Amino acid sequence: MTRRTTSPESQRPARRGARASQVGLESRTRAWLRHHRAMWLDSAQRLAKRPLSSLLTMLAIAIALVLPSGLWLALDSARLLDAELDESATVTVYLDTRLDERAAMDVAARLRDQAPVAGARLVTAAEGLAEFQQGVGLEDALASLEDNPLPAAVVVTPADTDPDSVRVLASNLEAVDGVDEARVDLAWLERLRRLAELGQRLALALAGLFGLGVLLVVGNTIRLAVESRRQEIEVVTLIGATHAFVRRPFLYSGAWYGLGGGVLAIVLLVLGGHWLSAPVTALAESYGAHFTLPRLGLKGSVLLCFCSTLLGWLGAWLAVGRHLADIKPR
Amino acid sequence: MIVFEHVGKRYGGRSEALADINFRVGRGEMLFLTGHSGAGKSSLLRLIMRLEKPSRGRVLVAGHDLDRFHLSQIPYYRRQIGVVFQDHQLLFDRSVFANVALPLEIQGVEPRESARRVRAALDKVGLLYRETALPIELSSGERQRIGIARAVVNKPSLLLADEPTGNLDPQLSTDIMRLFEDFNRIGTTVMVASHDLALITRLRHRVLRLREGRLVGDEEAT
Ligand SMILES: Nc1ncnc2c1ncn2[C@@H]1O[C@H](COP(=O)(O)OP(=O)(O)OP(=O)(O)O)[C@@H](O)[C@H]1O
Ligand SMILES: [Mg+2]
Repeated sequence: MTRRTTSPESQRPARRGARASQVGLESRTRAWLRHHRAMWLDSAQRLAKRPLSSLLTMLAIAIALVLPSGLWLALDSARLLDAELDESATVTVYLDTRLDERAAMDVAARLRDQAPVAGARLVTAAEGLAEFQQGVGLEDALASLEDNPLPAAVVVTPADTDPDSVRVLASNLEAVDGVDEARVDLAWLERLRRLAELGQRLALALAGLFGLGVLLVVGNTIRLAVESRRQEIEVVTLIGATHAFVRRPFLYSGAWYGLGGGVLAIVLLVLGGHWLSAPVTALAESYGAHFTLPRLGLKGSVLLCFCSTLLGWLGAWLAVGRHLADIKPR
Repeated sequence: MIVFEHVGKRYGGRSEALADINFRVGRGEMLFLTGHSGAGKSSLLRLIMRLEKPSRGRVLVAGHDLDRFHLSQIPYYRRQIGVVFQDHQLLFDRSVFANVALPLEIQGVEPRESARRVRAALDKVGLLYRETALPIELSSGERQRIGIARAVVNKPSLLLADEPTGNLDPQLSTDIMRLFEDFNRIGTTVMVASHDLALITRLRHRVLRLREGRLVGDEEAT
């Protein structure tokens, strides 16, 4: 700056205001980054200084996150199960009892050639009887029969497992020569699908609701922090701090709370998974199915942490915006 | 530098804290603002800082009509003004050093440069040796001097001081005024609100005199 000692009126002012705008973009960016780094650390230190209350806030966030993400995981595994069930969605086509084995094979071949059929397996009358005997344990009673009362059947696997198209396929198959009846049992499959859909909606609603809960928890915590630093906010505003400058430490606090909550939620999910896995596997095995509880995995964990951090940040942003307006000396 | 045109200020529904104030202050001028307690000195300074808006009239600073500022411009405007507050406005959870560094931190001054300027400012008010102390450990006069150091650390083009010598002994008061005069000599416009009449008459700068919100005297420097 210029050092002059002329009379006051003629003196040029030391124009520091202009200096601020002359500072290059680069150094301003550096200052901005420096403040971000400082606030990132500072907010973490403030949280660490009061570990118990920070932990409680994070735990509240974690609990709000566990329910929807747990349900989401369960649905994900249900979807896996669903895919397995799709494969078992078959049409059983009973052939005319008068057909002999040769004719039955012909019909099976014709059925296999139908358009939306993925596969067709012939179960001859004799095989059917053998299966039936094994399954029902009526060997002696059936052995006393002279004729085999069972028709030959073809188990058709549809290419498209959508319930409606399966039904259409069944009626088409019934029209084929030599076919007596085509039977589909879809009701339970449909019921399961409906349930999964319900679960999905429930998970979405819960995610929305508990997401709001996270916003409220963070918002309230940040509101208290703003209140406790009221004097500091007033002072820095008096000497030219921008809104962004004032808001920054609180946004980082919110993000830290969110991240901590996300990590705790993952821990809770892993613990819960361990706790439930033995009974769930046992239950599945009792139905003859092989099923293990799904894991969140790296991708899921990162996603969960990202979402919770974002929620924390957003909660802080909302709270600070609301409460700064009250404090401003403007 | 500062122009008041028919400025009035009313707080809520009460009688006017300031009424029909007219004056001009040139760039690089130094002047006192005096009057009894409650006359409106702090209110007038708050108008210049754009902490309050006038209820009537216009305030112009460095050619800008303060009424026209967008809310987002105000922080940048305030950075050009150094203010010594009547009630210090220090942060009690930070060291003296951190308090003085605050305006530089807000403006994103590089830390090494910032430290150099903070020490220079502390040295000017004679408190360099207390840089690690907390404000709570200081006497009232020392806190006031920290407030002064913080106001000048940024080398502002306009310096406003509200009772900067209220808690200082005569010797320190004189030293602080010398400091302000030094700043004035290098081009800073300085406006000091004070009711220390002995000091004001001794220093022979221009004096604006307020009484119950009205400007009743404007005595040129002698
Ligand atoms: N924020 C406010 N709300 C309502 N009235 C106010 C406010 N600030 C100041 N006043 C009133 O405005 C008048 C002028 O106050 P001001 O603080 O400007 O006086 P002052 O000259 O600085 O006094 P002192 O020498 O005691 O500091 C007083 O009557 C005061 O009650
Ligand atoms: Mg006052």
